[in-house]
Amino acid sequence: MLMPSKVKYRKQQRGRRRGKAWRGSSLSFGDFGLKAMEAGWITDRQIEASRVAIMRFIKRGGKLWIRIFPDKPVTKKPAETRMGKGKGAPEYWVAVVKPGRILFEMEGVTETDAREAMRLASHKISLPTQFVERKFTA
Amino acid sequence: MSEAFTIEAEPREEFGKNEARRTRQQGRIPGVVYGGGGPSIPVTVDPRKVADILRSEAGHNAIFTLEIRGKAPARVMLRDWQVEPLAGRLLHVDMVRVALDIKLRVKVPIHITGEAKGVKVQGGIFEFLLREVEIECLPDNIPDHIVVDVTELMIGKTLRVSDLPASDKFKVLTDANRAVAHVVTLKVEEEKPVEVVAEAAPTEPEVIKKGKAEAEEGEEEEEGPGKKEKKEKKES
Repeated sequence: MLMPSKVKYRKQQRGRRRGKAWRGSSLSFGDFGLKAMEAGWITDRQIEASRVAIMRFIKRGGKLWIRIFPDKPVTKKPAETRMGKGKGAPEYWVAVVKPGRILFEMEGVTETDAREAMRLASHKISLPTQFVERKFTA
Repeated sequence: MSEAFTIEAEPREEFGKNEARRTRQQGRIPGVVYGGGGPSIPVTVDPRKVADILRSEAGHNAIFTLEIRGKAPARVMLRDWQVEPLAGRLLHVDMVRVALDIKLRVKVPIHITGEAKGVKVQGGIFEFLLREVEIECLPDNIPDHIVVDVTELMIGKTLRVSDLPASDKFKVLTDANRAVAHVVTLKVEEEKPVEVVAEAAPTEPEVIKKGKAEAEEGEEEEEGPGKKEKKEKKES
């Protein structure tokens, strides 16, 4: 599972996700990609599940780039605990995603395969997504 | 340069985000023309016409005629354009005047043809590393793209900028040693059993500490267990 190797602080506040992803919103490496259409958190497990789904489908050939990294710790209080007594323990990691962010990129596969691989990956992500390709489509 | 485009532009009198928003609501986008020894002129243009240019064979290297109302037509090319990240709509364009007798520096896309033997015969993965090269040439000689055949590329071999087909019409400025494409061996991923992944306890990353903070945290940790015991006693 993806997570930072070193952090400055163990716990973070939740923050807000306003605006669009002006950076990281265009394909940089591959020919095809998956774009998030809404803001949200994508957990390390979701990223891993998507990666596995893509790699299982394409089997051999093709290259995958993961354009998001879960660098935000999410804490959770133990079950049946009274409120107070401080913030809970770090439980998992999330990547903060804004609308327009490219989540994955692929290269070396046909468009049909890339679409299917991204469709499978999108089922592991808790946000609406869109398949994108490298051409000007305005 | 296969197609000839002409774009009509209106000079812009008012500026700022609000005026830009109104302009976009009316179906036009703000833009600016500069360079070529002339003044910088803020204009509005039809985004569909600009999109046609970007979709054309020459793409962003197309040289087209810009007719600004009340001014002489100018030969320009796109320098920069902003795109809305969700819908992909054009938001703003920068156009630069082009003198047809002065050499330009432009980035030209590389097009790959053929299937590498390293992929077809040896079962490797083809990686396209450099999609554009910078060239210097006269505006009339800008190629739409540079075509390179990769059929003979085997595993472990790299196609470099120096291997691109040369032409007397342009000079390649990108470092000749830079890799354009290569074929690498396939990394077979071992599938781990799902149970093992589920059982793996989430490990915490190392916390970067400063001198003073370290001492404080150390004290806290020492106090920690004692406090816990007291709390448990209270609850019981």
